[in-house]
Amino acid sequence: MSVDKLLRKIFLVDLFQGLAVTFRNQKPKYIVTEQYPAERPQVAERYRGAPRLNNNPDNGETLCIACNLCALACPENLIVVGSERNEQTRRKELTTFTYDLSRCMFCGLCEDACPVDALELTQDFELASYTREGQIWDRQMLEEGPRPTQYKC
Amino acid sequence: MADEQKPGGSAAPLPPGGEAAGQPAKPSPPKPAAPPPKPLATMAATPWESNLARDLKERFGGQIAETSTYLGQNFIVASPEAAVPILEYLKLEADFDYLVDITAVDWPKRPERFDLVYIVYSFPRNERVRIKTHIPDGYKPETAVGVHLTANWLEREVFDMFGIEFAGHPDMRRILMPDEWQGYPLRKDYSILQQDQRWVQENLGIESGQ
Amino acid sequence: MKAASNATMPDSTFLDSTELVLNMGPQHPSTHGVLRVILKLDGERIMGTDCVIGYLHRGVEKIAENRTYTQFNPYVDRMDYVASVSNGLGYCLAVEKLLNMEAPPRAQVVRVILTELNRIASHLVWLGTHALDIGAITPVFYCFREREEALNIFEKYCGARLTTHAFRIGGLQYETYDGFEQDVKAFCDMFPPKVDEYEELLTGNRIWKGRLTNVGVLTADECKEYGVTGPMLRAAGVKWDLRKAQPYSGYEKYEFEIPIRQNGDTFDRYIVRMQEMRQAVRIIQQAVANIPEGPIMGKVPKVIKPPVGEAYVSIEAPKGELGYYVVSDGSTQPYRVRVRPPSFVNLQALDRMVRGGLVADIVAVIGTLDIVLGEVDR
Repeated sequence: MSVDKLLRKIFLVDLFQGLAVTFRNQKPKYIVTEQYPAERPQVAERYRGAPRLNNNPDNGETLCIACNLCALACPENLIVVGSERNEQTRRKELTTFTYDLSRCMFCGLCEDACPVDALELTQDFELASYTREGQIWDRQMLEEGPRPTQYKC
Repeated sequence: MADEQKPGGSAAPLPPGGEAAGQPAKPSPPKPAAPPPKPLATMAATPWESNLARDLKERFGGQIAETSTYLGQNFIVASPEAAVPILEYLKLEADFDYLVDITAVDWPKRPERFDLVYIVYSFPRNERVRIKTHIPDGYKPETAVGVHLTANWLEREVFDMFGIEFAGHPDMRRILMPDEWQGYPLRKDYSILQQDQRWVQENLGIESGQ
Repeated sequence: MKAASNATMPDSTFLDSTELVLNMGPQHPSTHGVLRVILKLDGERIMGTDCVIGYLHRGVEKIAENRTYTQFNPYVDRMDYVASVSNGLGYCLAVEKLLNMEAPPRAQVVRVILTELNRIASHLVWLGTHALDIGAITPVFYCFREREEALNIFEKYCGARLTTHAFRIGGLQYETYDGFEQDVKAFCDMFPPKVDEYEELLTGNRIWKGRLTNVGVLTADECKEYGVTGPMLRAAGVKWDLRKAQPYSGYEKYEFEIPIRQNGDTFDRYIVRMQEMRQAVRIIQQAVANIPEGPIMGKVPKVIKPPVGEAYVSIEAPKGELGYYVVSDGSTQPYRVRVRPPSFVNLQALDRMVRGGLVADIVAVIGTLDIVLGEVDR
């Protein structure tokens, strides 16, 4: 072996080169880790999180027209849309809307199917609950959204 | 041999108009007779003309039922005993040295219930060929492990999911399901919600997995 | 031709022999998922192995028979969950082939960009976990830091980082967001120096070379016999890549190289995958330089009912040849979807690769196989 290679071997040059990379990356001020729950991560606008039934901002009524397209699109068949026919306006009105979050895989097919943008997947991802029944959301919970308990950090 | 069966020659029922033509008009239109079972549509395959198809037909003659192509993908339909000899011929003489996949499809209404499909690929020719055979329930095809070693786990999976045992396989046991599972999940008569209750109760200690 | 594994497990009275049956159980930090390997050892030398899989079997192929084509799309991501965009691409290409249509050019280019980003993300997970198994703890942090950037792009585009459901049958659902090109270009500028950093950490390192050279050798003929594809085949010297051999989704327009090496051992696979990451950056740069204008969704009916027939379409996933064999009987639900997983077929070669090696080599070989149990078991 040549002198150069021998010296490199004895003095562990290749190992020190690796160590140099590690030391270069030591930047105590630059932390890549997100300090959750102290700082909540910024998720994207299109993030597929908790579902929400939107209301018309002008008059507070629901935008949903009870067309059942979201229930048909769902791969897991977890949406149940209850509606009744309003005799005055001759249209279907939404009565109950049940969404089973425990089986939802947040694929977004229901959001894509809704023709009036009533059903939307929002940026909420804190969806834990203590019971299985707490994961089946009715219309009220869907409109308000999950309210995770805020603990002071 | 057609891929799917056509009901032999049964035509549409006599049109109700023909019967009712000579009758006085009724208050309600006569209910048409129940339509016959629609003949199972077959794949719109066209014959595959190439040197390889001709050589295969020459070599195997009557054992190859058809050589066709659909959407640009060539396949041949062979009789079950000829499958492994065809694989061997393709490997040794035609450079199809890579067995891509072995799988099966269940057509429960046919007498030859399963469609066993081998897909092979040739590196020098950059071509893929499918070899399909129709086998009845209970038939044990010969294993392809002697020709391609890839077939080992692929055939184990076909056995596990469909119950098609391969004669001569060195290690014929279930691969994805637990060893003592009864039932073959990918068959059409195995419902999606069905589980082997006995196995679940013995091994997991719960009543049912559903 | 002998069968793949002719090791027989010894029966119960083996206490008087020097052979030991050791279970590398489903819960193990180095088996990349729930993989159980039963080892037959003679001291530290491996005499034979027996892989037991199926712990993550979810019956995806059975589910496919009970969902419509569009509804099955999200399930496909969950198989190879590390590189879910490729799975979606393969499935959409297979159904598009059955429908005999192609996605519009803009959709194809965006698909290529996302798929190559996904390839980089998958190789980063491979590198991080493989290095971690061998004992080098730093690369995993660096790799996941870069992976965050790629996953951020996925999140901004389709809303999810891991199970992306990015593509639809016939094209794309979402238009690219404002700033997509800038983000991708920034990633491409940021990334190659990082690959240099990983190479500086690992490639010259004597411990790394000592653990990886001549371990798990699989020659080109053995690869073809076992049906092994992907970077493993390329490390053995076969210059074959489905993106060049049977291009799909517009890959023929891009100029990139196929890295190959000769020995077929673990170190060569490492070099091949590092080069693939660089080539992926090259492809992304070419693709994002000119994304054509136009529609993002092709002419697909509202209710997808392909004519009766079948098609087998395969793509070059980061792990090998991922194939979809879709059989249609004319109804809205597929009659049979068979997924040919690269990890399943590659895992068969584990036995041949570790015979005669040491127990520490099993960990290196499982890492180099780059298996994801979600794909092996489906």
